[in-house]
Amino acid sequence: MSRNKWNLPDLGFGVGLRTVHYGHILKHQPPVDWFEILSENYMDTGGRPLYVLEQVCERYPVALHGVSLSIGSTDPIDWEYLRKLKALAARTKAHWVSDHLCWTGVSGQNTHDLLPMPYTEETLRHTVERVRTVSDYLERPLILENASTYLEFAPSTMKEWEFISRLAEQADCGLLFDVNNVYVSAFNHGYDPQLYIDAIPADRVVQYHLAGHTNKGTHIIDTHSDYVIDAVWELYRRSHKRTGATATLLEWDADIPSFEVVHEEALKARRHRELEAAA
Amino acid sequence: MKAVIVHPGAVEAAVAAPEAAAELPPERLKDLVLPSRTLTALERVGIYHGMYLMRMRDALAADYPGLLHYLGADAFERLVQRYVQVYPSRSYTLNRLGDHLPEFIRDDQQLPRRGFLHDLARLELAITEVFDAAETAPVSPEAVAAVPAEAWAQARLRPIAAFRLLACSYPVSAYQQAVRGRKTPPKIGRQNNWVVIYRRNYGVYHLELSRRGYDLLQALAQGQPLAEAIEAVAQRARAGRIEDELFRMFRDWISVGLFQSIDY
Repeated sequence: MSRNKWNLPDLGFGVGLRTVHYGHILKHQPPVDWFEILSENYMDTGGRPLYVLEQVCERYPVALHGVSLSIGSTDPIDWEYLRKLKALAARTKAHWVSDHLCWTGVSGQNTHDLLPMPYTEETLRHTVERVRTVSDYLERPLILENASTYLEFAPSTMKEWEFISRLAEQADCGLLFDVNNVYVSAFNHGYDPQLYIDAIPADRVVQYHLAGHTNKGTHIIDTHSDYVIDAVWELYRRSHKRTGATATLLEWDADIPSFEVVHEEALKARRHRELEAAA
Repeated sequence: MKAVIVHPGAVEAAVAAPEAAAELPPERLKDLVLPSRTLTALERVGIYHGMYLMRMRDALAADYPGLLHYLGADAFERLVQRYVQVYPSRSYTLNRLGDHLPEFIRDDQQLPRRGFLHDLARLELAITEVFDAAETAPVSPEAVAAVPAEAWAQARLRPIAAFRLLACSYPVSAYQQAVRGRKTPPKIGRQNNWVVIYRRNYGVYHLELSRRGYDLLQALAQGQPLAEAIEAVAQRARAGRIEDELFRMFRDWISVGLFQSIDY
């Protein structure tokens, strides 16, 4: 049973819905627990992506995952974007809507990257206010993901895990906890990822993300292009011990292998959970 | 930070560029960004800077495979670099990043064979628009059969939403389809041609047209009654009676599902 404070369900072990797998999914209807879709890919299309999504929604639970909410930006909230996001959530009967703790652009320009934020009292107040506004509008649970980051701002006055914990409490929002991102950011910034895992408010974790990454030696890039490494599985087990059974999703976005390979990687999470439970 | 990320040059030039330097002089970068054990502050900013152009290139390469094939990876990347300086993304989606690429190519003095590339870009933009257009069911054979014979002359036909008509000066449809099919594209010479891009059962198709076919389809798409459209095309053709030829084309278009309704 999921222990999050909203009693949002443990959907099991899902995978991200990707174009290259459309044919396989429609033909074989694989026994996947649930799918996560990239919201922006389905907002403005009336073609095949929407057709496939409708087929998927008839058979599987779905959650929305966005990359353009830009919750940390100083630009005004994009209400047209939110209107379409809300309509898509209703259409798909999404269990929740997620996006990232980041900003993606400013002055109307979108870099389409998940840019890091300075962790200060000012940015915390700013982001809490925006999360509340967006949550009220969506009328559906909004959960935020810790992004992988490649730099830290000198003016920050708190660690990322403190910022995200306080944000979740003050804005009363859930968390999409990406343990691979914790590993990536910890490597890049030189801190112990276990500190991060242990500091997150467990009752606010609604979903997990898992993915592979690319280690460049001097830094790690969150490429979603490989298998999950053992150290990330260890972090997953450690976090799962605190949160209890929670919806878990594998992301694979580059060099995407067959659907069976991606699904098998997602199902490893079940075995890690069982190992943890037996320990 | 945004100004640095989207700057077209190297990251050193990006932090020193006027827009970025006005916010933060380059020598004070370390006051904003911490170094890591292995990377300087500048190198860490450089990670984001490098990924921006890569992301823009990947998005445009997906929508413009023919352009990428013709120009090659390096020239295509330089085109993307110039393009996003003029037309950066202002949308929550990258799907429409390339909407201005045809007009940019038309005016870009640095490109060879701009006439051909402009036509190719127009075609590839039309394909993306047709791919994402709203789904509108084509008229059924029963609906066509139900139109009284005497009503056809004044009938107006409305194309499906996933429908784009193009008149080109180069045979870009053949070129683009060869690239898509991983075949050797034909040699490109100037040759007027006409094509309709449409979607059926969620697949995107090209249908080559004659000049007369293009004129008739364009007149119908603009809302002219059938008889009036045919007469106008026949008059322009000055080739005797061509109504039978036009009716045959019209019947073919109905059968492939180019129209969503017949109003009479």
